[in-house]
Order: sequence, then structure tokens, then C-alpha cells
Amino acid sequence: MRVYDVMIRDVTAVTQDETVENVVRIMASQFLSGIPVVNEDMRVIGFVSESDIIRAVVPGYFSLLQSTTFIPDMNQFLKMAAKIKDKPVREIMTHPPLVVNENASLVHVADLMIKHNVKVLPVVDEHGRLLGIITRTNVVRAAMEGYL
Amino acid sequence: MKVVTVTLNPALDRQFIIEEFSTNAYHRIKDHKHMVMSPGGKGINVSMALARLGVSSIAIGILGGYTGRVLLTELNKVSPLISTSFVHIEEETRENIVIVDPVNHTMTSIDSPGPRVERKAIELLMKRYEIYLSRVEAVVLSGSLPQGLTGEIYGKMAKMAKERGKTVFFDMIDEYLTPALEICVPDVVKPDVRGSVTVLGERLEKLEDYVDAAVRLVKKGCKLVVISYEVKNDVVATQDGVWLISTQGEVEPETILGAGDAYVAAMVYKRLTDKNANMLDVAKFGYAAALAKTRKLTKEMPTYDEINEALGLCTLERLR
Repeated sequence: MRVYDVMIRDVTAVTQDETVENVVRIMASQFLSGIPVVNEDMRVIGFVSESDIIRAVVPGYFSLLQSTTFIPDMNQFLKMAAKIKDKPVREIMTHPPLVVNENASLVHVADLMIKHNVKVLPVVDEHGRLLGIITRTNVVRAAMEGYL
Repeated sequence: MKVVTVTLNPALDRQFIIEEFSTNAYHRIKDHKHMVMSPGGKGINVSMALARLGVSSIAIGILGGYTGRVLLTELNKVSPLISTSFVHIEEETRENIVIVDPVNHTMTSIDSPGPRVERKAIELLMKRYEIYLSRVEAVVLSGSLPQGLTGEIYGKMAKMAKERGKTVFFDMIDEYLTPALEICVPDVVKPDVRGSVTVLGERLEKLEDYVDAAVRLVKKGCKLVVISYEVKNDVVATQDGVWLISTQGEVEPETILGAGDAYVAAMVYKRLTDKNANMLDVAKFGYAAALAKTRKLTKEMPTYDEINEALGLCTLERLR
């Protein structure tokens, strides 16, 4: 089975000058864990995930901690969140982005998702233009139906 | 993606087929086929009709709340030829109810006003619209507006599209059409006269009024104008003249749900796929699509073969 068969044909995207605050608002309203960043031709030039945003707000050692009680000053996070909300998304996006072609196999997609630990990938045409997204659930559902 | 369709006030359409429907009575629907839930709103309907004709489109607009998410889920199931990108808001998307009575040949519609849309959502939508314009050949701006918006938004969107060399189609009531035309004149306009038969502020009564209104729109710069006249006829005007398109057979009023959107979609299809077709051919193909749609009770859009078959039933009379 190919990406084309299971992808979600939603081309919601932002441009690289969009503010982080707006990106978070879009992600929250559409229950998205990430959103493609496109140029004026709809070519995917980046991807912003929840992880990218969290990384921009919390210190690098955060992922090593088991509990927030180790954090000396919670105000530091609030300050960081306030600091980045008006910044353009290009400052925190993953660039170049990981993308898959609509004709790629689901096995290839699964491989990419596992290797790079990502939940969602933008789907592009042969010119790198956004056609939709594919999520882990799309792949798992296809596998459960025996179509991987 | 060849076309972007804009639906600023989408609706989840709930269609019920009830024989001998009457008010102040209890009706039980026994067959699930007689209750159809489908994504609606003029632009979305046009996207679905285009998909039946093999044309890819991107449907954009504003969706809200739980109803909006249901609508999107249903729309994403319709066809791989429809891509979506809606701005989501908290207030609920509206639901429109249509009760079709095939025995008494009636159609009862209840349309809701839709949510109030804040400026922020419109700004986000306009940004997306600008991006998607780079990928399409034509733009369809149609349907009602949610609370808080006026017809100027259609004018602005049309202007952005025309500046990028896109073909623009309008299908909207006069309340939006008149202010939109002040900003930008589209290529094709089909005034929505279902509720109030008014075009450019003038109430249309006699056939002559329809012809005059169509000519005025052509003089403003529209290449093709289509005004529905007494359900089964259309006054069609181009720079070459004015015609009345009709059919010999009867059109039952309970079958017209979605016919206007099938009309617009077929005109878009003809314009994009047949470069030799003149504007009258475009209108005829649209009319045939609407006629083909009225052969079905539900909002199922016609196929190319069904439209071609209906073309043979169209009659054309030159009026001016």
C-alpha cells in the first residue's frame, strides 16, 4: 500500500513568518501535533512539531529529568514562553523537513517514523509541494487491516 | 489541485426524505437511506461536484466546534480529489435541514445563520488563500457569509485571484454581490436569487428585468452571467448576446438541492478542460449538470455521462 491510499488530504500549513503563538493556536484548534511550513509555491520548507516548540521553551537538560520538581524556577519557563510567542516560526522549525512522496510505500514511512521518532510527516508531490499529511495512526491502521 | 473553493459559512447538511410530510405531525423514518448527512455549503458542494468530474480542488473556509470536525471527517471521505484546509474556530458550524417529500413534491429547508467569526480567523484564512492561489487555475467564491462578515471579503478575494491571473466564479446573493463587484468583477457570475429575486439592488419580476440585470452585469465586465428564471429556465448573458436556456420536461422542486452547485462546478469544468468552448457552451454545460442533478432526490452530484445525456434535453432561445 502507498501513502496515497491512506494519507489525510488536509493541506493546512503556515508560512515561515507566522508567529509561534499563531502556530500553537492552529495546532490546538485542529488537534495537530505538528504543522508543515511552506513557501509561496506551497513547497514544504520546514516542519514545526510539539517537540520543536517545547525544546524552544525548556532548557536542554529537561528531557533528562523525571519530574518538574527538579526545576528550580518555573517562572523561567513562563518567561521563555512569553519570549518566543511572537517570534517567527522559522526560528524554531525543523529545517530541512522530513517529507515523504505520495507514492512511497507505507513500510518506508514506518521506517522513517521509527528512525526519527516522529508522529506525522508531510506528504509531497514530485516538486516537493504539500499534498497532505500521514500520521502514525494511518500507518498502524493500514497494518491492522493487513495492507502494509 | 486545479480549483480553490471558498466556503466561509459551511454547513452539515441533514437531508430527510419523508413521504407526505406535514407540519405539526409525528414522522418516523424507517429507512436509513432516507436520512443523509453530508458536508455542505456552496463551495464544498462545488468541490464534491468537481470531484465527480475528475477535477481536483482544495476546499477552504471556516469550520467550528464539534459539528465542524464531523463535517471535515465526512468531507475527507468523499474523494481523494478534494484537499482541505479550514481555519477552525470554537463556535459551532451550522447545520442545515432539508425535508424532501417525493409524494407532494415539496422541499422544506431550514438554514441556520452560522457562527460569528473573529478577525483573527479571517486573517489566517486570507494567508492560506494567498498560498493556495499559487497552485490553482480557478477560484469559486460562493455561498452565505457567517455573522460579522460582509460582501467586501468576496471582492477582496476575487481581486487577489484576478491579480494572479485566475478565473473567478461568483455564486452569491445580491447583499454580497453588489459590494463585492465594487472591488472586483469576476469572470463568471451566477447571482443566487433563491430567497430574494434581486440583482444589483433591483427586484426582478418580468423576464425583461432578468435580461436587463444580466446585461448590466456583462457591461460591468463579467464574461458570463447566469440568472435562474422560474426554476427550470436560466437567462444567460455574454458579450455576444442574451439567451434563455430551458428544457421541455418538468423539474420537480424537491430535487433541486445542490443543483446550483452542480451548475457552477460544471461551468468550472468546461472552462478548464475545453479551451475551444465559448461562454455560451460553458453555460449550457452548467445547465445540463443542474438538470442531471435534478434526476436525483439526494444531493448526489452528476457524472460526466449524465451531464452529456442531459445536454440533449436543453433548448436555447436567443432573447437579445
